[in-house]
Amino acid sequence: MSTRRHVLVGGGVAAAATATHLRKHGFDGEIVLVGDEPQPPYERPPLSKDFLLGTTEFEEFQVRPPAWYDEQSVDLRVGIRVTAIDVPGRSVTLSTGERLGYDGLVLATGVRPRRLPGFDGDRVHYLRTAADSQRLRAQLAESERVVVIGAGFIGCEVAAAAVGLGKQVTIFDPAPTPLARVLGATIGSVMTGIHRSRGVQIRAGEYISELRHTGDGMLLTSNLGHRVECDLVVVGIGCEPNVELAAEAGLATDGGIVVDEYGRTSAPDIYAAGDVAAQYHPVYGRTIRVEHHDNALRQGANVALNLTGSAEPFAEAHWFWSDQYEHSLQSVGRPADLEDLVIRGSLEDHDFSAFSLVDGRIQAVISLNRPRDVLEVRRMLFAPHEVTAEQLRDESVPLKRLIPRSPRATARA
Amino acid sequence: MSSAITGQWQEAMHLDDLWEGEMEGVEIDGKKVLLVNIDGEVRAYKNRCPHQAWALDEGDFDGQTITCVRHMWTFDALSGKGTNPDNCELITYPCRVEEDGTILVDVG
Repeated sequence: MSTRRHVLVGGGVAAAATATHLRKHGFDGEIVLVGDEPQPPYERPPLSKDFLLGTTEFEEFQVRPPAWYDEQSVDLRVGIRVTAIDVPGRSVTLSTGERLGYDGLVLATGVRPRRLPGFDGDRVHYLRTAADSQRLRAQLAESERVVVIGAGFIGCEVAAAAVGLGKQVTIFDPAPTPLARVLGATIGSVMTGIHRSRGVQIRAGEYISELRHTGDGMLLTSNLGHRVECDLVVVGIGCEPNVELAAEAGLATDGGIVVDEYGRTSAPDIYAAGDVAAQYHPVYGRTIRVEHHDNALRQGANVALNLTGSAEPFAEAHWFWSDQYEHSLQSVGRPADLEDLVIRGSLEDHDFSAFSLVDGRIQAVISLNRPRDVLEVRRMLFAPHEVTAEQLRDESVPLKRLIPRSPRATARA
Repeated sequence: MSSAITGQWQEAMHLDDLWEGEMEGVEIDGKKVLLVNIDGEVRAYKNRCPHQAWALDEGDFDGQTITCVRHMWTFDALSGKGTNPDNCELITYPCRVEEDGTILVDVG
């Protein structure tokens, strides 16, 4: 009898979580983890924050120490790509030419930064991998004038880190308010204010239309005709899912690898998890692709459950954080309308939670420096509840009083 | 991870002030300590999340699990072991409760 073998494609936290949880659920067959980066799986959040500041080093954010893979008999193949999937033959081909049969295949191929045509070269940076971040960190050390293209989370976090290192930073974004697409105009304005107060120049409604390399730097021209000289450019304009491997094998893709609530793709015994997965979410009744760390971990763990025979739909709330300066921005849920938020606390003091409320049900909360609120909402989000905007605004009523509590939490001696 | 018993027991709190299902941050000998009462069992941990050293008493305790609110890392309150992620643990201080309810902690 041959041993069962699960092959995990992609060297990020989703695949690592699948490996961990396969062992946790007692799978004792072969696990092969194939990742195209040179390192074992690591966490990406520090790459745009602490790692740039030099306050953490790579070893500290590896998902597992290198010895773990041996201890757990996880066959780690780093620096290797999967080049093709043979769906009927239930095997994959590696960039080494080797063919590997599988019983279960997990595609956690992640995303890659969207590139701006013509924006390339030694001093132009896109940020996704540890190698990207290492290169950026090294060049930041010898740069003065930094331009960030795109005021999304990556751009804003890099700007915060660069200013923290004493650099002159300018962010360009074509939208009138940075971060408004994900946070709404109100919170986007608060974040803009925070960056400006730290000395970041924010050029909203303006984008770079031309980049020219000069002898010792770059000359940028904006759509408004302004010229900016700089030593270093970081482009953070979003990501594209790595769906090619799946698409070439004939799996359904639609802005991601399409999976059902169990993480199953359109092909038998092939799953997808993490940033690349466009997953049907049973609570929302639609397919959603999420590019956040926590989601990747949880989907990876969920796929392991389903590979080991206990069919468990993935129905978790989406949660993310972004650390900028000393500020902790967190969110859970999916806002119905980012321009219709109920504010609890003070925008001015950078101490608030903004609720998306529809018919008495909280859809989401976005908090600045109020992580406890996020924790409370995370508990109640999918549980029946009814609250009013007045109750949410009234800080004399603790949030947890608005929530039906589990008997356990209220029991006292 | 536990620090060794040095025999230097110091009064940390009284059990009357730490109900079952509660946690509380205290300072002993200049060290930040988290006291937790899990169904009558009291534990003492270093009051720092192993992730980014955030104070755990600002987080949440639901009777079983301690959650650091900074990035939602969770720990089993009885063992101090990480549950998500599971590759970390809290630093434990030796801790005992006297018959009169005084909680003693040995921070070394």
